[in-house]
Amino acid sequence: MGSVKRSINQEKEVMSGCAHHCGGICLWKVHVKDGLITRLEADDGPEPQLRGCAKGHALRQQIYAPDRLKYPIKRIGQRGSGEFQRISWSEALDTVASQLKRVKDTYGPSAILFSYGGGNVSLLHGMGRIIGRLLAMFSGYTGTWSAPSWEAALFASMVTYGTTAVANTGDDVLNSKLIILWGVDPVVTIHSTNFTWYLIQAKEKGTKIISIDPRYTESTATFAHQWIPIKPSTDTAMLLAMAYVMIKENLHDRVFIDQYTMGFDKFRDYVLGIEDGIPKTPSWAEPITGVSATVIEKLSREYATTKSAALISGIAPGRTAFGEQFHRATMTLASMTGNVGKHGGEAAGRSLGDQYPFHTYPFKVGPQMPYGDNPVDKEAPIRNIALKRYKVPRSYARVHFAKQADAILKGKAGGYHADYKLFFVFNGNPVNQHAYAKKWVEALHQLEFMVVMEQFMTSTAKYADIVLPTCTLWERNDIIAGGTTPHYVYLKKVIEPMYESKSPLQIAFELADRLGIPEYKDKSEDEWLRMLIEGSEVPDYDDFKEKSIYRVKLSEPYVAFKDNIEDPGNHPFETDSGKIEIYSQELADKQIPLLPPIPKYFDPPEGPNDPLTSKYPLQLITCRTKRRAHTQFETLPWLRELEDNRVMINTSDAKARRIQNNDLVSVFNDRGKIVIPAMVTERIMPGVINVPQGAWFSPDEKGIDRGGCPNVLTNDEYSPCGALIFNTALVQVEKA
Amino acid sequence: MHSEMKIKLQLGLYFNQTRCTGCYACIVACKDWHNIPAGPASWLRVHSIEKGIYPNPCLGFFVVLCYQCIDPPCITVCPENAIFKREDDGIVVVDRKRCLGRDVCGGKCSDICPYNVPQYDAEDNPKMQKCDFCLERWSEGKKPICVCSCPTRALDAGPLIELQVKYGDGKKGEGFNYSERCKPSIIIHPKLYLAT
Repeated sequence: MGSVKRSINQEKEVMSGCAHHCGGICLWKVHVKDGLITRLEADDGPEPQLRGCAKGHALRQQIYAPDRLKYPIKRIGQRGSGEFQRISWSEALDTVASQLKRVKDTYGPSAILFSYGGGNVSLLHGMGRIIGRLLAMFSGYTGTWSAPSWEAALFASMVTYGTTAVANTGDDVLNSKLIILWGVDPVVTIHSTNFTWYLIQAKEKGTKIISIDPRYTESTATFAHQWIPIKPSTDTAMLLAMAYVMIKENLHDRVFIDQYTMGFDKFRDYVLGIEDGIPKTPSWAEPITGVSATVIEKLSREYATTKSAALISGIAPGRTAFGEQFHRATMTLASMTGNVGKHGGEAAGRSLGDQYPFHTYPFKVGPQMPYGDNPVDKEAPIRNIALKRYKVPRSYARVHFAKQADAILKGKAGGYHADYKLFFVFNGNPVNQHAYAKKWVEALHQLEFMVVMEQFMTSTAKYADIVLPTCTLWERNDIIAGGTTPHYVYLKKVIEPMYESKSPLQIAFELADRLGIPEYKDKSEDEWLRMLIEGSEVPDYDDFKEKSIYRVKLSEPYVAFKDNIEDPGNHPFETDSGKIEIYSQELADKQIPLLPPIPKYFDPPEGPNDPLTSKYPLQLITCRTKRRAHTQFETLPWLRELEDNRVMINTSDAKARRIQNNDLVSVFNDRGKIVIPAMVTERIMPGVINVPQGAWFSPDEKGIDRGGCPNVLTNDEYSPCGALIFNTALVQVEKA
Repeated sequence: MHSEMKIKLQLGLYFNQTRCTGCYACIVACKDWHNIPAGPASWLRVHSIEKGIYPNPCLGFFVVLCYQCIDPPCITVCPENAIFKREDDGIVVVDRKRCLGRDVCGGKCSDICPYNVPQYDAEDNPKMQKCDFCLERWSEGKKPICVCSCPTRALDAGPLIELQVKYGDGKKGEGFNYSERCKPSIIIHPKLYLAT
């Protein structure tokens, strides 16, 4: 243990890090006195410092929150009433274990539905590993499929490039002459730490920045020279029209296309209208997207002729009815313009990275705790849409992430693989964050048992039979790797778990004892973390732990596919053809009309052209806010006082409804209704409203949500590749 | 008269308005560092300035904290002489023990400050509190917490004459009026709005 620094007021300074599900990884100098965290400082080491956000500075209010769950509790009232009684850990864990055994013995392991999210994304305690491995070892379980943030981007990357490691590091934008931010709002989404700093630097160097987004976000206002508002769920049409202009004006890089891609001719035929009789001209795209033909033409020429240009495709446009087409189209355009594998360019997979070690710079990381073999996955065949190289579970035994409530409600009668009796929730808040909240309220009453591991009484925890209190990030040790410049960060424990809270691994150990699987306890927390680092580039574990950071030294920003472009003979793309697949034979062979082998535009149901607009004329999008990370931090006073949680609505749409700024309004469709104050603004296009996601679902006695939760309104269908479609929905707004 | 007071090396703030994203990290950093509860007292605030009409709106931000004026009017009006300017560095400090409290005094300092710097929390007869330019941090060679927390490095602080050499002498910014009476110790790189 290195020297302990003491500062003013004799406070000890401990370095640690934060990586909540914000997209960032930042460092913190935590001041501790007499075992209490007194205050924080952002990274004050050498540049580029990993400075955190408003939420990070409020972490004391999370750790010392009076409403933190302190003890295990069991339900005593009606499910969902929030009436709980404190119990001991032994009663809580005995109950959970006996219920798992009972359900397994009575119905089989497929009756156990395990749900996890990105509530924490660090490498050991994050995502679903800790409980997934436990359940796999015990019996097996029904898991979910689809990565909620970005399934469309992952799918499109696998199809086009044969890998999900498609992003340059964020500092490479300093090499761009033009940056197009397409549905990207890093001021709020972070994604990742310092990306805003690099965008500022790029702008100050003279790089032109264009932002395409239904909203005039803080990111657009600060970085962009030009804002192009676009109707949600129509982005692919604009991209196709851009391709049209490039083809017609001979601006595409035919040398690059010939050398590195395959299937461009088929894409060209579709774009020119040879395939279906509809040329995808800017005039064709204009009424669909709301973007004028002139603007589309100008942007295509700029993107095609500026070298290098980075088309940074956000993942929000991929969370739409045909989101995979958006990502396929951005990657196709990046290839047509020859920007793949070049400094300042971008394979158009930016958002696939930075908080994870596997989507950009190829970090070496030792073995993580495995999810293990889940016998339930073998009970059913693999789905047709499963891609050869995309090694994620795709068995029909799995429930789609968006369909968990539907599956619990309907079970086998609804075509699902099993009837689900036990619901285990970890690192997630499905009732709040999954679409179609009303189904959750109905579904959860069908369960025989529900257990949730949580820090706060969330909308999901309210429905549990047992809630197990987990500790916060600085009450346990973990590691993460990622970043706009690649680094490993030690998320170091600063204080002991508070109250009776335990780390997820500790809870899993105690469950393993009761489930009779001592092999689960093969490694301690420290052993898992050392193993991660032993297999990494970090030379000294203890030094890394003390400093909390190890920076990978690169002589230049990392560029994905650099070798594939510079030395294609020795570095073919990891696709069947060895090339960038604008046309995918694998998709063609599946013969799924809505998953064509080339990028195509499909008019989305509940999009702006749906006849349903006569009843629900406004498009709903559900964006992030700076005062939360999804649902996290919602109760922290320092963050709540920063801004109100309001629906963004354009002045003209508000005026037509006699709505003034801060008026309470109801937002509704056939799926439900919420009541929320209005933010009447010029900063969103007419016809579109934004209800910030993460607000806590709080239904009143009539079932109307008063918390402002947009998932009362969103659709639990999924795109053809399995993407969630939060950003494709129609609603109406009225004065409340 | 404080305008005649000789300050050894007046400190100042630099604000690059073009870099400010309105992320509010500085606001919370200040609250955490100085342990100020959520409530009416905020030593640092960020104003947002919106102009224009769709599809050409403009948005910018201005950070508001005590600008350690060269000639602070708050000092002049305080009936108890509870506010003073430090000779070494020009930091304007309030002695809360001397302060009569807003209900007794009527809040003369907050009435006269053009930037609404004096703050009060939610108690009876609250004593004035305000940004103290993190004077405790300077003694450790550290800049104010807001400067050190800004993700886009929009802020800097140091001796005013050094800031002037490094950044110029800009006094204009959207959402800010430079008061000739007070002479706030701030240098600004303004954000130019596309449309008004």
